[in-house]
Amino acid sequence: MITGQSIFIGFFGVAAVWFGIVVFRTFSMVRSAIALLFSQTALGAMFLTMQAEFLGVLQIMMMATEMSIMAFFMVMFMMDPGGMGKMEMTHQKRLSLIVGLVSFVGAVAIAIFIDWGPVATTVADTAQQTKALGLELLGRSMLVFEMAGVTILTAMIAATSVAIQPLPLSAIKHKKDRV
Amino acid sequence: MSVELVWALITGAALFGVGIYGALSQTNLVMIMMGVELILAGALINLVAFWRYLHPDAMSGQMFVLIVMTVMALEMAVGFGVAIARFRSKGSVEMEEAAELKE
Repeated sequence: MITGQSIFIGFFGVAAVWFGIVVFRTFSMVRSAIALLFSQTALGAMFLTMQAEFLGVLQIMMMATEMSIMAFFMVMFMMDPGGMGKMEMTHQKRLSLIVGLVSFVGAVAIAIFIDWGPVATTVADTAQQTKALGLELLGRSMLVFEMAGVTILTAMIAATSVAIQPLPLSAIKHKKDRV
Repeated sequence: MSVELVWALITGAALFGVGIYGALSQTNLVMIMMGVELILAGALINLVAFWRYLHPDAMSGQMFVLIVMTVMALEMAVGFGVAIARFRSKGSVEMEEAAELKE
């Protein structure tokens, strides 16, 4: 049955996919980053429509920050960030298109032909959901949650150590001598 | 079957397909990371839809979403770290010019 929720999910779903396609269709890298931001925001709006308010707001906030940073990096690293020269930056297009289409058709077939069982019509309100999620994170799933924290710390250290400019050997020796 | 669940799963499938296309077809490291972001976004929408329409009482579904969001952030952080190192040493993050990594 078509409901208001299904119409909004369909609308935001189409928007998310459309902006996802625009990411790889535009020559401008800034537009590409902004299209990805819109795609992720539409996804956040879908979460809100599905009554997962906490996750929806988190998704929009996180992706807004992440994509802003990404836009900076794209301008720094791309040879033609504005897309004025219309440089071709793709390879093996046909193979990629076939693999992408096969993945899409396979996943859609699974979505449509599998019997997912009874569907829940109601869900707890936001305050109860957030409380239950907090209890889940600090109860049964605490180890997983803590592992995520440690992994973030490790990734921060790894990313920083990879990114910093290594000192030349002579500079290190000079520093040691001064100590 | 719920129309909402099927819509959400089709959206996830489409994002996954577009992400796969992007990750395989792009030559720039940052654009490849964008493809991976879309693949993970497809996983996110599936997780939220399964939680909402099949198991709304099991909050581990929402916890999985948080873990996938963490993975997205980590992929970006480490990816940009690698991009900076590569750009500093070679002056480019084009994967076509990174054939020596195979050797």
